[in-house]
Amino acid sequence: MPRKPKGPSKSRFVSTVVEIEGRSETRIVELPAFDPAPWTTDSALSIVGASIPRMDAAEKVTGRARYTADITRPGMLFAAILRAPIARGKIRSFDATIAKKLPGVFDLIGPGDAPTKTRLFSNSIAYAGQPVAAVCASSEAAAVRAIHAIVVEYDADPFAVTFESATAPNAPKVRSSGNLYPNAPFIVTRGDVTAGLAAADIVIERVYHTPVALHTALEPHGAAAEWEGDRLTVWESTQGIFRVRADVARALDLPLSNVRVIKDYMGGGFGAKNGAGAHTFIAAVLAKRTGRAVRCINDREGEQIDSGNRPATTQRVTIGAKKNGTLTAIRMIADVPLGISGWEGGPAQIYHELYACKNVHTEETFAFVNASGMQAFRGPGYVEGAFGLESAMNELARKLHLDPLSLRKKNFTKRDPRKDRSYSGNQLPECYEHGARIFGWPKPNTTTRPLAATRMRRGSGLAAQIWPTGGGPPSYAQVRINQDATVDVLVGTQDLGTGSRTILAQIAAESLGAQLKTVRSIIGDTQSLPYTGNSWGSMTTASVGPAVRMAAIDAQHQLFDAAASMLNTTPDTLEARDSRIVVRDTDRSLTFAEVTAALGNVVLVGKGSRGPNPENAAINTFGVQFAEVEVDLDTGIVRVLRIVAVHDAGRIINPLLAASQMEGGILQGLGYALFEERILDPRLGIVMNPTMHDYKIPTMMDVPTIEVSFIAGSDANANHTGARGIAEPAIIPTAPAIAAAVADAIGIEVLEIPLTPWRVLSAIAAIAAAKG
Amino acid sequence: MHLTVNGRVHELRPASAETLLESLRDSLALTGTKLVCDRGECGACTVLLDGEIVYACLTLSAACEGATVTTIEGIAEPDTLAPLQRAFIAHDAAQCGFCTPGQIVAAHALLAANPRPTDADIREAMSGNLCRCGTYPKIHTAIRAVANGEFRTDAP
Ligand code: FES
Ligand code: FES
Repeated sequence: MPRKPKGPSKSRFVSTVVEIEGRSETRIVELPAFDPAPWTTDSALSIVGASIPRMDAAEKVTGRARYTADITRPGMLFAAILRAPIARGKIRSFDATIAKKLPGVFDLIGPGDAPTKTRLFSNSIAYAGQPVAAVCASSEAAAVRAIHAIVVEYDADPFAVTFESATAPNAPKVRSSGNLYPNAPFIVTRGDVTAGLAAADIVIERVYHTPVALHTALEPHGAAAEWEGDRLTVWESTQGIFRVRADVARALDLPLSNVRVIKDYMGGGFGAKNGAGAHTFIAAVLAKRTGRAVRCINDREGEQIDSGNRPATTQRVTIGAKKNGTLTAIRMIADVPLGISGWEGGPAQIYHELYACKNVHTEETFAFVNASGMQAFRGPGYVEGAFGLESAMNELARKLHLDPLSLRKKNFTKRDPRKDRSYSGNQLPECYEHGARIFGWPKPNTTTRPLAATRMRRGSGLAAQIWPTGGGPPSYAQVRINQDATVDVLVGTQDLGTGSRTILAQIAAESLGAQLKTVRSIIGDTQSLPYTGNSWGSMTTASVGPAVRMAAIDAQHQLFDAAASMLNTTPDTLEARDSRIVVRDTDRSLTFAEVTAALGNVVLVGKGSRGPNPENAAINTFGVQFAEVEVDLDTGIVRVLRIVAVHDAGRIINPLLAASQMEGGILQGLGYALFEERILDPRLGIVMNPTMHDYKIPTMMDVPTIEVSFIAGSDANANHTGARGIAEPAIIPTAPAIAAAVADAIGIEVLEIPLTPWRVLSAIAAIAAAKG
Repeated sequence: MHLTVNGRVHELRPASAETLLESLRDSLALTGTKLVCDRGECGACTVLLDGEIVYACLTLSAACEGATVTTIEGIAEPDTLAPLQRAFIAHDAAQCGFCTPGQIVAAHALLAANPRPTDADIREAMSGNLCRCGTYPKIHTAIRAVANGEFRTDAP
């Protein structure tokens, strides 16, 4: 049972632990008023589980969907940001006289002009790309002209943009509090790794490197702000409207309820849009000063340089095993340069979670460097960690002459080894079996396909995945039955392109017995909608879904109360389907519309909340991906031919949308494996590839055959909808599976991603050299 | 200057450096066409200029005197969505939707020029339109379906 908090709060409120992207947070939550019976594997559901096209797709295919940059307000001004061209130093002089006089310019803010808590426009520069000033003008073009007319002189200081330079003796001070993240190194241990290694028949040691990756959402970060007296409205492209509200209220010293945050459509987030940013504060401050609405959207260079990234890692991995493949020890020591800010989202966690192994030790040292701060990026830590762990596992299999799939089955764990607790559900073995069958492991059933040329080599590989996807409270929802019998799902969540609008409507329609076409989801407004947390950690479905289901059941109770007297029966004899209420085992019925017509202007509102997660159960999504590649030995170019992905995510609410999300995650993983890499010149301290041409993301040309499937079922132990999350699991195993396939093709492992032609050719050359 | 956009004639006075994308979005409030890279690298701003595919972010409005422009807002048929739009909906070819207008206009141009494209033709023609959500497989399926004659408005 959840614990009650200390203090005078009522028993409706309990404290519970929620896991978000591998971190645990304790929260006070309101207990649901009742506990709906879980949807189990056997529940007969017709709308939930159906491949229904996205309900907002028509807006998207017609161009009607309005994103933040499409918001206009009367008299709106447009802001542009000037960014520092040096990695570290001080502003010696700042002259905006000419800029202010340019046509169309309304206002300009620079050093000292923004409230302290916005942390904007410091005189000291800590990374290239740091905002130095902002202008608002009657057009975006005029604002851009003006920032170019600002004359700033800098005194450049020595900087540290790499982990090595930031941790060297006498390193430049990246942050006044020190260059290491507090309490470095971050150590997690179970068992005795030294003893485990001593007991091993074989020990393999590897050093893996992963790059800095950029989110590169097509829609950049942006906000529009407008004041009415001391009330502020912010339109923001965000994964967390309530978090943006809190950030803005704190930075501008406003009461929470004076800030309204609206998010309608957004063009992707992938973890980088979890709170307010410089653009938000700039829009709000300039709007206050000018008395006009102000829109501030990152330009592409600003977006690539300063909107977050997946930090690079160096992972020193040591694995010990018995001859039969049983793991005896796993050790991983990581260096992670975070940028100027960040959190301890390192690669260690997956090393503790994916396999049965009594002795595991990880150490992570996070350093601040003079580069833009990291942000969560789809599967933060686990994506990097999976590359190290799964690559090392594949090497272990090779050294032991074991099949890498058998090695994984051998080390499968039935319990969460990190906390020694059971799983709410774990069908990883079924994923292995099913995936192997589809792919044709170990001999891909596509090998009859001719090679593109004789200098080509084929290879296959695989990697597994785990990710915490329990979701959890707090999440509140309302389901409203309107006078015309249409239904609104009201919840303060967001749809990043994931399809949450659609799946929440499906859950409500199923629970209420309404036709799906009468239901719509109203999301993304802090002023009018019930609180829900950020859309991160693959947790929206598992967090918000149960609250919506409960609200729909509550609304149905009220509807049945009204219908019962009209049908001369009691509510417990009623059931609903297709927006019609039927007296069980009779032919007496009423449509929802007949009941709401009789109710006149009474609007029924059901309330729902998300209860705590079960205690002592680990809730995870599992999966495995198989890759087949073709490598050109002359050019080093890798083509991925095929990815087979099989995951266990509990109940799938909408298979069509789930497959889209899986394909998207896999393609981001493919980019991470093959070409995505921010290049930061260590001598200049600036980003060399801040464009979409130079920072390569996959195009349609790079798309392999992708076969996605899910293990059928429902995880009724996780929550009463039986659904877990899938957004992040999709990307986690892709890069190590591709890397394993490349190693299989060329006969040597490449220890650093992305697997650019240069790195692949160097590895091939190393074999040739070794052969003499 | 005059510009015909989606069948309607507009009078515009673009600044000398104003792009067609700015004119469409800011002067004509046709915000379906998106700005992503502003330098011809992503395809989000794809429109048809006199039937030819162009990146509106690289096209100067002043050079378009008398031209005819089709944007995503002009793709639909009078009473119904265009086959491509219906195929994109049915095959879930839009996740966040930010790249979608550019994708549909590019696909429209492809099918106008080459009604029976091979898979390779589709990949080639669409390779200039980036999608960070990774919707490519579904976009490909949607285009394939339309090329196969599915989703035709006159279909029985
Ligand atoms: S915005 Fe025009 S090609 Fe990217
Ligand atoms: S659907 Fe999001 S960028 Fe293509």
